[in-house]
Amino acid sequence: MGLRYSSILALLAALACVVLVRELRVLAKENAPRVQLHADNLGPRSIEDLTSKSIPRDYALAWQTMEQALEENRPGLLDGYFTGIAKQDLTQRVHSQIKSGLHTRYQDGGHKLEAIFYSPAGDVMELRDRAKLDIEIMDGGKVIYQEPVSIEYTVTMTPGADRWLVREMQASVKP
Amino acid sequence: MRSVLTAFIVCLFALAAGAAELHPPAQVTAGNSITIATSGSGDATFYLIGQSVASKRHVQAGTEIAVDSEQLERAGIYTAILCASDGCASANFVVTPAAPNRLSFLVHPSRVPVDSPNRISAVAFVQDNFHNFVLKSEAVKFSVLPKDGKEISATRNSENGVAWVRLSSAKKEGPTRLGAEIGHANEIRVVQQVAADACNLRIKASRAKKDFLVETDPVKDCSGNSVPDGTVVSFTKVDEAGKATVDVPIKRGVAKVELPVDGRAKITVASGVVTGNELEVAGGQ
Repeated sequence: MGLRYSSILALLAALACVVLVRELRVLAKENAPRVQLHADNLGPRSIEDLTSKSIPRDYALAWQTMEQALEENRPGLLDGYFTGIAKQDLTQRVHSQIKSGLHTRYQDGGHKLEAIFYSPAGDVMELRDRAKLDIEIMDGGKVIYQEPVSIEYTVTMTPGADRWLVREMQASVKP
Repeated sequence: MRSVLTAFIVCLFALAAGAAELHPPAQVTAGNSITIATSGSGDATFYLIGQSVASKRHVQAGTEIAVDSEQLERAGIYTAILCASDGCASANFVVTPAAPNRLSFLVHPSRVPVDSPNRISAVAFVQDNFHNFVLKSEAVKFSVLPKDGKEISATRNSENGVAWVRLSSAKKEGPTRLGAEIGHANEIRVVQQVAADACNLRIKASRAKKDFLVETDPVKDCSGNSVPDGTVVSFTKVDEAGKATVDVPIKRGVAKVELPVDGRAKITVASGVVTGNELEVAGGQ
């Protein structure tokens, strides 16, 4: 009898988890920053229709999860859309934020993403992102820095099982 | 309205930060330590924020603050913040990549049929010792080092930190080494060149008890390389009983199968898109 109730409870918990994950996904999509992709001068490989939709979608979700990870100091959020050195850097940043009691809040004004290199084998894409951001750094509850910035990022993305992942991200001041 | 409010808040910060100031160098090469001059006096907190760092420590305003080279290895924009009792001041500075000395070298595919023009792609991302992209144009030397042949090399200039080249596979099967070189970095990848599709596929038949034993000649590609064991060869028989196809993997260079035949039969052979000769046999002969 007890076993039957625990099975029902487990089933209900699993259903609740499924609903929660779906809700979170919907929420994630609603809050993702605006990303416009331009691939007119891309080479040597031409971009496929599906890839031209996946890149801005996954890049937006990467930014969304990064902003959330840096605001809430949750390194696990970086697992979804980052890999390689980009993930390593950001994970290190979150851990040092935790150690110092800092967190970073972004107001994302959008990204103009330009695809500049797509390898012949289709296994890596290099992009340039011109991002407009309002950055706020807080020590506990105190704002210690706040500034609107335009930053240019050089980014590489590589295909994963069902999405494109950000592998490298290097910032420079927008010329 | 929002931008006015933001400007107002920024002005407030600037005013509040009037007493303590900090002056980092505008540009630093990755992996170098720096000192940041500050003004003001008394206890203060210094913060350094970068791509992979967010550190905090107590300092004395008005002194020079040393920043270790390990904290400045990743290229990008860094923000230095100094907070004293009278508010916070901040300054941004840029860490630029060091000299190119590392390559992220991608070669695709790892196995390629022989004699395939432009089938191999080699892409090299130019980096410094700290994995930063070196975006200014640099010469990358690509080379092909065949197992028993002469090295062939070509130089390509990187653009946006990437240099790439397309290569054709050789006519002879076997491994070949591809290299990319810059500074002290010399990356090597091995590509296995394998036989291409079968060529001049031929079969012969002999009687084996009640059935026929149908066997190919050694299966080779058009350059004379043996097609690898495991490649599937399809035998198709059409006789009075109808049509039947048997797929057989190549073993020790040949594919063979025993086929029962009712009356007269036609036997054909194919491997991939390549077809071979046709045999006519008669059961009971």
